[in-house]
Amino acid sequence: MALVTGRRLISQPTPGAGLGGAATLLYVVFIGLPIGALLFKAAQQESFFSSLISGPALTAMRLSLVTSAISMLVIVLVGTPFAYLLARSRSPLLRLVDALVELPLVMPPVVAGVAMLMAFGRRGVLGAPLEDLGITLPFTTAAVILAQIFVASPFFVRSAKVGFQSVATDHEDISRTLGVSPWSTFLRVTLPLAAPSLLTGLALSWARAVSEFGATIMFAGNLTGKTQTMPLAIMSAMETSLDTALVLSVLLILGSLAVLGALGILARRHWQAEA
Amino acid sequence: MSRGWVHCRVGSFDLEATWSIEPGEVLVLFGPSGAGKTTTLRAIAGLLQPQRGHIEVGNRVVYDSDSGLSLPTHRRRVGYLTQSYNLFPHLNVSKNIGYGLRNWTSSAAGERVRQLIEVLRLDGLEQRRPWELSGGQQQRVALGRALAPNPEVLLLDEPFASLDMELRRIFRRELWSTLAESNVPVLLVTHDREEALALADSIQVIDEGKLLAQGNPLDVLGQPGQERVANLVGVENLFPLTIESRNPRNGTMVCAGRGLRIEVPLDASVPNSSPEDRSETPASGIGHVTVGIRASDIIISTQEILGSTARNRLQGVVTHVELAPPGYEVTLDCGQPLRCQITGAALEELKIRPGMDLWAVFKASSCFLVQDAPLVARRHIAGRP
Repeated sequence: MALVTGRRLISQPTPGAGLGGAATLLYVVFIGLPIGALLFKAAQQESFFSSLISGPALTAMRLSLVTSAISMLVIVLVGTPFAYLLARSRSPLLRLVDALVELPLVMPPVVAGVAMLMAFGRRGVLGAPLEDLGITLPFTTAAVILAQIFVASPFFVRSAKVGFQSVATDHEDISRTLGVSPWSTFLRVTLPLAAPSLLTGLALSWARAVSEFGATIMFAGNLTGKTQTMPLAIMSAMETSLDTALVLSVLLILGSLAVLGALGILARRHWQAEA
Repeated sequence: MSRGWVHCRVGSFDLEATWSIEPGEVLVLFGPSGAGKTTTLRAIAGLLQPQRGHIEVGNRVVYDSDSGLSLPTHRRRVGYLTQSYNLFPHLNVSKNIGYGLRNWTSSAAGERVRQLIEVLRLDGLEQRRPWELSGGQQQRVALGRALAPNPEVLLLDEPFASLDMELRRIFRRELWSTLAESNVPVLLVTHDREEALALADSIQVIDEGKLLAQGNPLDVLGQPGQERVANLVGVENLFPLTIESRNPRNGTMVCAGRGLRIEVPLDASVPNSSPEDRSETPASGIGHVTVGIRASDIIISTQEILGSTARNRLQGVVTHVELAPPGYEVTLDCGQPLRCQITGAALEELKIRPGMDLWAVFKASSCFLVQDAPLVARRHIAGRP
């Protein structure tokens, strides 16, 4: 590190410094202007706070929080052992599964929604058996949660897998030679060491779940109080009440900033590599 | 104590290992990288399943392929120290040392940790995290952590490899005194000859998964009887020579080849043969032998030393002078290059430079005969339980 810092002290001419500066400025304005405009317009609304506690906004907020919380719980409970297996196993079958985990990341969310309808819809593959059991998934709150899990879980699984991979198996081996069972070793060594990555994955996953729109509207619809989460409520409100749309947008931006801040703190807490 | 034997196959690599260590004894596994040293340790610790074998740790059988017994690692009571230490980065020094004491009462565990911190001179560092420690401190914490739960055997895998030369000597001495107090049997893996000599009560030389030689470290490392072992342990001078004459009354013979003529012990490599066999040379019947001499067994002089008991006096020109810590290595051309280990002070005093004419002096008994085939290994493996 000392060498690198030392090198940085000598300022070297960077190729295309002017071009880079211009590009940076353009980029900052491009990203910053809409966000600034949104905050500016929201601040100008006289009825900002009344909109905040107005029925539709509050209902959407509550639904988003509840569904995303349940999604995160499921993702953590299922995703953690899954990610650990992916990190530790060398079986070719799991390599394939590993590649498939990334699919929802690059798949258009609307397509995910259509796919889920084809699986769980009334005329879907599992539609008839589910109906026999008296279970209807499409256009219910459960569908919102399923859609969120579908699109958001890869963020957690991928990050957790990398986290587990970064924990040297040597640490686990040493723990076992010290008389600690494999299960305790997982809880006392592996999990704490991978925790920053797991939390990073959770934050990204939550951000993705809360912003989920395409799969939700296809598979769960846009029913106030039942499936209308904040992004859907924003779209609906744009037609009737700009106030509500703006206040929900501001809240989602604040949520994103909170996630960014949490990620920054987590990044600094990463366990330092051993010498 | 620990003893046993294992046969492990990892990919196409075959390992045959066998060992027996008494309490308070240090057995060194010596060999190049890839010889199977670490595999042996991992098999004993239960981190790797052997194909066949029988492993005893303490007075318990922890693995036996015949009866299908294999205790999991956490029930074997082995202490394992790796060269990268693998301290837990999320725990401080105290908690690292006390990690294996979870089943102890908190007061007993606290007392044990305090005791080890004192013995290992880690006072004041209790709250430090591993990355805030020097390499030597990390090594002591790792040692303390391994010793804390009173293991029945301590497995040390190149514990000094990541330290520099100076620190190595210091910590070797420390490790030795710590181990002497604890009386725990130790299996130490190394490819450093100095380390093996300093710590070993007995030594095994292994290569490519096979035991080549075992015994007293001075014998095995000082005068190895086989060419492969001699190469592995770094015998500096190995000369292929022909027997010129035998002198049974002196117990020596004169060997020569390519301008070099030296007197060597007659029976150095055939200890078990009958007297009439002695006329037979060890390597083959046609009188060819390989003679080894350690660089440190040779005395260098600017003049011929007459009237001494040393049987070998060779004159040669200095071809190289190289730094070889802790001293220097001087190569003399005596027909064949002869490498001699000297101190820096001697180099200064005699003003040794390339091109100088010098005399090399060594006793016949410093020479030893080296044979090619690893007979010891075969005999040993055939005789396992």
